[in-house]
Amino acid sequence: MQQQDKYRIALLSAFALGLHGFENLLPSPIPWLRLGLANIVTLITLLLYGMRPALMVTLIRVMLASLIAGSFLGPAFILSLGGGIASTLIMGFVLHIAPRLFSTMGLSIIGALFHNLAQLFLAYFLFIQRIEAILLITPVIILFGTLTGTVNGAVSALLMKNLIKYDQKVQNVNEVK
Amino acid sequence: MSLRELFHNTTLADRIIFSLMIVLSLSGIAFIKEILPDNSTLHIYVDGRPAYILPLDKNRVVSVEGPQGKTVVEIKDHQVRIIESPCHNKLCIQTGWVSSGAIVCLPNRVVVTLGDPDKHKKTVDATTG
Repeated sequence: MQQQDKYRIALLSAFALGLHGFENLLPSPIPWLRLGLANIVTLITLLLYGMRPALMVTLIRVMLASLIAGSFLGPAFILSLGGGIASTLIMGFVLHIAPRLFSTMGLSIIGALFHNLAQLFLAYFLFIQRIEAILLITPVIILFGTLTGTVNGAVSALLMKNLIKYDQKVQNVNEVK
Repeated sequence: MSLRELFHNTTLADRIIFSLMIVLSLSGIAFIKEILPDNSTLHIYVDGRPAYILPLDKNRVVSVEGPQGKTVVEIKDHQVRIIESPCHNKLCIQTGWVSSGAIVCLPNRVVVTLGDPDKHKKTVDATTG
């Protein structure tokens, strides 16, 4: 891994951590309902730099966030880790096999869906062991996950467009020089 | 970039998966309660002691032995009624079908209550001496 990549991963992880922390401060009507803002950074990393950096950013974000919040190796940490890894892997996989099939928005929805499914799966096997409770809550979680996933996807799409525009501007300036 | 432009940039697969997830989750919210087994129960007490705990989703007729004789309880479609009772004013039979709450036959000391008992289990808030 190049030195430059390390800096990028560190910077992106810091962005993700910041969003993660900001999200924790927001009041939520339902305690387990989260916006998943950090997924924006994961998605951007995936689109710009690929699978490995995205996975690293997610891992660093989840580890540091739980260390700061004091929930390291606790239930919230395990759910967060499982969801983060699952969503990053599936988004990377979909992007790899069919790059043109989904736009940023679709990728974000898929990521949110698998994030939720992995969390429900982990919650069932590790903590709750009551299938009817999980089944009852699954559609509600998936509905909110799809909505937040769409919003995050829209933000990511806007961000990507602006980043590309900015990048081109920088290149043009360099060419003129 | 406007919202319209944002929408135009989505692919067909995006729209399909979005609609699919919304429809599936909404129908899931609407129907999941129908699919899940109803675990509410019927409790029959005789003389203050629990005599039967029965599931409400199974239609059946139960005969309960009280101090004065047999009280016959019928369960049907999540509702309960008392068909037969040895008492003389038959208030319990006049209560008819009940889907929540309780039916009480005082002379025969039979109490029929519906619902999850843990949900309504009350503990003493405070005691004074």
